[in-house]
Amino acid sequence: MADAPSKFDEGSPTDSPSSTRRGILGATAAALGAGLAATVLGPAVIFVAHPLRHETTSGSDDFIPAGPPSLFTTTTPIKVDLFADRVDAWNRVVQVKVGSAWVMEKGGKLVALSTVCPHLGCGVDYDTSHNKFYCACHKTWFGLDGSVEEGPSPRAMDELEVESAEKLVSIRFRRFKLGVKTKEPIG
Amino acid sequence: MRILELLEERSGIASAWRNFADRPWPGGPAVRHSLFAVVIYLFLQQAILGVLLSMYYSPSSSDAWASTAYLVDTVELGWFIRGLHDHGASAFILAAVAYLTSLVVFSGYRRPRELVWVAALGVLALGLAEGMTGNPLPWDETGYWAIQVELGIAEQTPGGSIIKQLVQGGSQAGNFTLTRLFVLHAFVLPAVLGALLLFIAKQRNRVGVGSAPPRGRTGTYAPGQLVLDMAAMTIAAGSLIAATISSHGTELMAPADPTSGFQARPEWYFLFLYKLRMYFEGPNEAIATMVIPGLAGGFLVAIPVMEAVAGRLGRVLALLGYSSLLAGAAVLTNVALRDDRGDESYQKALKEANVQAERARRLAKEGVMPEGGPAVFWNDPEFKVKQLYIEHCRNCHELDGFGGGEAPALTDYSSREWLSAVIRNPSDDRFFGKTKHTDMDAYGPDKIDAEKLAATVEFLASLTDDMGADAALAATGEKLWDDELECSTCHEIEAGKASDAPNLYRHGTLAWVERVIRDSSQPDLFGKAAQMPKFTDKLSDEEITSLAKFVVARRSPAAADDS
Repeated sequence: MADAPSKFDEGSPTDSPSSTRRGILGATAAALGAGLAATVLGPAVIFVAHPLRHETTSGSDDFIPAGPPSLFTTTTPIKVDLFADRVDAWNRVVQVKVGSAWVMEKGGKLVALSTVCPHLGCGVDYDTSHNKFYCACHKTWFGLDGSVEEGPSPRAMDELEVESAEKLVSIRFRRFKLGVKTKEPIG
Repeated sequence: MRILELLEERSGIASAWRNFADRPWPGGPAVRHSLFAVVIYLFLQQAILGVLLSMYYSPSSSDAWASTAYLVDTVELGWFIRGLHDHGASAFILAAVAYLTSLVVFSGYRRPRELVWVAALGVLALGLAEGMTGNPLPWDETGYWAIQVELGIAEQTPGGSIIKQLVQGGSQAGNFTLTRLFVLHAFVLPAVLGALLLFIAKQRNRVGVGSAPPRGRTGTYAPGQLVLDMAAMTIAAGSLIAATISSHGTELMAPADPTSGFQARPEWYFLFLYKLRMYFEGPNEAIATMVIPGLAGGFLVAIPVMEAVAGRLGRVLALLGYSSLLAGAAVLTNVALRDDRGDESYQKALKEANVQAERARRLAKEGVMPEGGPAVFWNDPEFKVKQLYIEHCRNCHELDGFGGGEAPALTDYSSREWLSAVIRNPSDDRFFGKTKHTDMDAYGPDKIDAEKLAATVEFLASLTDDMGADAALAATGEKLWDDELECSTCHEIEAGKASDAPNLYRHGTLAWVERVIRDSSQPDLFGKAAQMPKFTDKLSDEEITSLAKFVVARRSPAAADDS
């Protein structure tokens, strides 16, 4: 065992016939071992990476009914929960809450702002005493138009598309990439 | 090489490998010594595959089946990973039996290796227990019924009802059954199994692998035995992969349904016990479920003792006993398989179960409702129509207490109660109050008493083909209709005739509702004032028919009896 470290040098020019045999057998064993590992690890990588190549959750990309127009007649923001069908891996859930929005009237039009803070995704609340939006997690203040007034949020609150029909106001709820300056939809 | 030396200095990894590879191997390399390596290999592979499966599997009674179906049918190579794990379990049991057999044949249980033998028996027992706890995890028909029967058998043993409640997590199968089976299968049993395998491996290093006399030369483990071991593992892995691919994974039956008459059969490695039980009816059942397996287990554990006590006779007994146990199990397994092949009713049930499984898995691809398991069948068209209703109708039309307020409620639509209430107060918000059809007078009790109202409604019912009207009462109603109440001024009752108000011929029947859904603004329906969207172009004919059926079929059947 004294010369054991030289084992790493097997296959060097000083090979004797017996160490050549050992080397071939050792290489065979190593090759078989590598093959064995590959038969499980190869499929395993594909198996584990499934969510990278396939959508595993999906919500509704359509406009979601938020309520009749009579609900949204003030310039004070009103929070509405949006319900839609959702697929979550093996589950399909009907009419589950997929998101919320602050809705208010502005210049005769309805404006909807996502309650998801663009900073790190906390819920943005409406502060009645200041008449401003406030994200309590990391203390960002947003104006009523959604613009950042103070705090770490990299961009204004995300505006959502609103469709006002005679009897029904609908909102298209989307999620956007967090922590970046531009508003990029995800999913 | 420098890196290896640095690593060696800090971890001893290279010398650990050398100690492993260069340990003395008396007698030189032999194929039989590789059986244990195959057991180890299968154990490790099962552990890795198990971890992978847990990444997609959810052990709850509502999610177990759906998550397994997703794993198998949607996740890339999910069928392969699960198939390999399932076939791997069978292979592990075969390998454990082969290893035990080699210990018997080559006297590997003799002093000082008695505990190796007992540990090896433990490895087989734990392998079987892994199968027992693993097979129910998908919570499909096979798995559910298997654990039901197994726990039922356990319950008959002394103190068994406590074991059953502990494993089941209550008096009935449910969420805790799966969490507990999962914990046993994925943590507890593998930990014990791993410890036993480690113990055997250590003993093999300490006292050698067998009692066969060294043939004069003592080599080292590597490379001879190492290559043999690797080759044996490769053969095992290759046949497993071949089996998995040729069977395209493994079966997943329909979700567990405690009310189904599923003809449960255990896994192949329990078939001999299943068959054995059939020869012992009634009170004798315990002979098959406990006495014989108990005696067999006791005998196996006692093999080293017998030889120590009785010498050659003990050896003969051990060989005879062990081989007859193996042969007995093999014969019983064969009989069980043969009987099932010849059993027409079982084959028919099996076929039906497979059809049901295929249907469930097809429906599961759309996603299973959160209720899980059998809720997969809600994806059937019948359930779909409800979704269609929620999407297109519920905003305006109330049904079963949900939605509505804008247009007539459809709960019990056009039933006698509904018709009576409309006549009493058509402009109520439950009916036409929020629509433009508010011209009709209300017929309160002052204008028409309850008796006359019932007769009028009966007359309307007689115009349909599906409400089974009382002819005499309807005749009274018809007179009221024309003369006293003057309904006919506005409402036609002859097919197709247009008038100011909806023609009530066959009001509320399937055909009528279908026409309203298509286009309610036709002159003999609600005319130009109709506000309901025309669905004739928005929905398929099939969808319109299914929606109409949905509304009509939900009219309470009891309605024909009140009034």
